[in-house]
Amino acid sequence: MNLFPERNPKLAWREIDGEAVIISPEDSHVHELNETASIIWTNADGKHSVDEIAGVIAARYEVELPEATADVDELIEVLSAKGLLVASKRAGAPAGA
Amino acid sequence: MGPQAIAQGSLRPLNISIGRVPLSLLIPGPHLREKALSRYREFTADSEGGLPVVLRTDAQSDARPLYNGPNFSYVLDDASMQMDSFGAEFHGVRHEYALDSLLRILLTMVLLPRRGFLLHAATVVRDGRAYVFTGRSGAGKSTVASLSPAGTVMTDEISLLRFTDGCWQAYGTPFWGEFRAAGQNEHYPIEGIYTLVQSAEDRVESLTTKEMIRALLPCVLFFTSSVEANEDLLRLLLGFVAQVPCQRLHFRRDDGFWKVVAA
Repeated sequence: MNLFPERNPKLAWREIDGEAVIISPEDSHVHELNETASIIWTNADGKHSVDEIAGVIAARYEVELPEATADVDELIEVLSAKGLLVASKRAGAPAGA
Repeated sequence: MGPQAIAQGSLRPLNISIGRVPLSLLIPGPHLREKALSRYREFTADSEGGLPVVLRTDAQSDARPLYNGPNFSYVLDDASMQMDSFGAEFHGVRHEYALDSLLRILLTMVLLPRRGFLLHAATVVRDGRAYVFTGRSGAGKSTVASLSPAGTVMTDEISLLRFTDGCWQAYGTPFWGEFRAAGQNEHYPIEGIYTLVQSAEDRVESLTTKEMIRALLPCVLFFTSSVEANEDLLRLLLGFVAQVPCQRLHFRRDDGFWKVVAA
């Protein structure tokens, strides 16, 4: 399954020293991501697939692709549960499909 | 009728300037005007042409929080405000305290594109330089102010920080906490900003950019849920942290902290 994660467009964010700081304007809550989660976050533009993002992480940390993919899947689940990422979409399908 | 139309009416404006932001307050009735004049006496300005701010004592029944480009509205208890490119209207202003609260909210929006922001912080001037001490309620802002020589405290509660004349400067405001002072319409270049931690020793600790942003964000006065405005704020704070020395100050609730701050 190749998903294309997207950042929640209702959040404001900046990258600081390689790590994402995210503000939820609705409740002023601040989220801080570690380096790995920040790589997912910055690449979660709806254009990069999970496999592609896992490839970036595998190359960065010199780990095998299956291991990186498992980590990315897990982190996407966490970030989605916090409302930071919105519904992923399959390639070529409309958002939310 | 919008602020621009009302500004052309017969009310004589009370012109003030806070942080070099000129405002023309159009106040109905002599009682509230007198209260406002007393409260903002140190910030009155001769120049006209400030952003018109029309005050109304009646509440606006359909007021809803809103942000859409230059249009912004905010509801605060019985009072509310609306602003657009031409000016602002305050509704439900029955006393100077409501006016004061709405002015703070207005300033946060007007200052943002002017590279400025309001911060819960005490500011003290020493040798012509501003030292800014920030922290949430109870962190020690008023304590720092009370431990500083008379006449050196710019504010014990809310500091106005703005990039002007090529550097970040602290501006005096009429917004005070326990000290209840009138404030002074002066500004000084910022020497440093310190997040307050009460401790058994006086020492300063360097902070990373991320740590400083984390410390500043909860202390910035900000009232809009606009993503765009929040990203502008983050960008502004990053610029601030890049140019102003930022440290954590552990202090013992006596004036010994000056030995490590202004060492």
